[in-house]
Amino acid sequence: MSAVAAKPTAGSAVDMTAMIVGIIILLIVIAATYFVLGYSLAFIALIGIIIGGILIGFGVHFVPVGGAPAAMGQAPGIATGVAMLAAGAGLAGLFGGAWAAQTTDNVLVIVITGAVGGGLMMAITCMFVTFIYVFGMGIPCASGKVAKDPITGDTQPEFKSQGTEGHGLPFVSYVGGVIGGLFGGAGGTLIYLMLLNLYKEELPGMMHALPGQVLPIAVSLAGMFAIGMFLVNAVLAAYNITGTIEGPHDPKFKRFPRAIVASAVASAVCGIVAIMIVAV
Amino acid sequence: MTVKVEKIEGGIPHTTIMVAGLIATLVCIYLTYLNVLTGTQLFSFFGGLATVAALIWGSHTIKHLCSYGIGTGVPSAGMIAFGSGVIAMLFATKYGIAAPIVAVVLAAIIGLILGYLANNVLNMRIPVMIQSLVEMAIIGALVLLGYAVMMTGLDPTSFELTALVTGKVVILGLSLPSYQTSFLGGALIATAFMLGAIAIQHPFNACLGPNWTQDRMLMLAAECGFLSMITAAVMSMPLIPMSAALVSLFVAVIGWYYTYSKYIELSRRDAAAWLESKPIPDVEGH
Repeated sequence: MSAVAAKPTAGSAVDMTAMIVGIIILLIVIAATYFVLGYSLAFIALIGIIIGGILIGFGVHFVPVGGAPAAMGQAPGIATGVAMLAAGAGLAGLFGGAWAAQTTDNVLVIVITGAVGGGLMMAITCMFVTFIYVFGMGIPCASGKVAKDPITGDTQPEFKSQGTEGHGLPFVSYVGGVIGGLFGGAGGTLIYLMLLNLYKEELPGMMHALPGQVLPIAVSLAGMFAIGMFLVNAVLAAYNITGTIEGPHDPKFKRFPRAIVASAVASAVCGIVAIMIVAV
Repeated sequence: MTVKVEKIEGGIPHTTIMVAGLIATLVCIYLTYLNVLTGTQLFSFFGGLATVAALIWGSHTIKHLCSYGIGTGVPSAGMIAFGSGVIAMLFATKYGIAAPIVAVVLAAIIGLILGYLANNVLNMRIPVMIQSLVEMAIIGALVLLGYAVMMTGLDPTSFELTALVTGKVVILGLSLPSYQTSFLGGALIATAFMLGAIAIQHPFNACLGPNWTQDRMLMLAAECGFLSMITAAVMSMPLIPMSAALVSLFVAVIGWYYTYSKYIELSRRDAAAWLESKPIPDVEGH
């Protein structure tokens, strides 16, 4: 973004035609996969990837992203962009999930481990960001969007400096950040796990090799695709909130239905390509 | 309805850069066919030159898109470029000699859908959004293909997934196939991903502002491209013969030094004033 940029004006209106076109693309991709490949591992993988993408796109809306204004103490949130925060939480979740995937086959356990990884990363980030805001920059935590913190009930306006949109990290934003990390980590891990299971099944036949030999390739391919899809979904969600959001109490949070449609379509399109590598 | 913040005044038009970038990248990737003609892997560095051409084009595309103030920061554009590009690039490796062309077409389709989602479903309403995301996805795919070619010494007759996943380990003079010593199995692709994603977003992020000039930003893009190429050349050492890796490293270092000195020159031209101070002052009397 340019240093002298005006605020982007992407409104909160919902373009129904575009939403319907998006949903039609999604249904075409799902139907095509079902008719070509039937109810197979590849079809289950596609559904898992779409659910994972939706979790990521939804989760980003909880994360308090402050951007450059937050770094100057002029807006609440963590002082960096969505791409960095979401990548951090998602990759931390992916590491947790990948570690669990080595030890168990239980999808629920693996996905929850991934969620805990992402949530933990966001919790640590939020805590140290607050330390730096309060003890380093000397600013109190105050929201500019609500008069009272929805969770603790603390009043906000008397702590807010004039001319700012609030600053620091209010408690509700902290909780939002952890919830966002949980969703992001779970979504990223689900995509990874679905692709890993598919590749572990299909690659040995495709490459005429033993399952043990292709494991590094399956892990690397699934991890790479998971990172790619994670970033695509996170950046699309970032476009939806036009860069900054305070957390679940922010009015921009209500835009999430658009992001869910966009994430589902984007994950379906990217997912079908990732599946076709081994299935066609 | 978006305010366009900065105009492109003078300089080379974006269409020219786009066409030149696409052609230069594809030609450089296919020039690795010299590897087949000569029976060596000495010409792998053309893959690196392809990434430099694509990154120069990409930094201008980012300038084109981000001058509308998308609000998410410049790095996010680099991330979505490579996030969509890696998917297209890996799928394209199923098609052998046509892989670069398939990568371009498939990346364009993915970029088109992502652009439509961003522009219409998410209501961004930025005139160049769809075109920019199409270009970004193509650039992401081609840069990754370029790094793959450079690090593994592929030639156009073997742009295949099996070539990306199979490497060789020499144990006691015996050459054994190994899946871990490879572009994918060794996860070199993850490093290539970040080398490209950082190199593509940095030039505009560093040069934006009221005194943005096109030639300075493009020179910085070339410098970032060669800097990434140096790293890629070092990473290619286990996968291709040392002589070929050293040729790549030599080309990258020469390119980096030239573009870096040019960039410093252009920065001084655009600066209001500058003072020649050294990072570590010489202390007299030693």
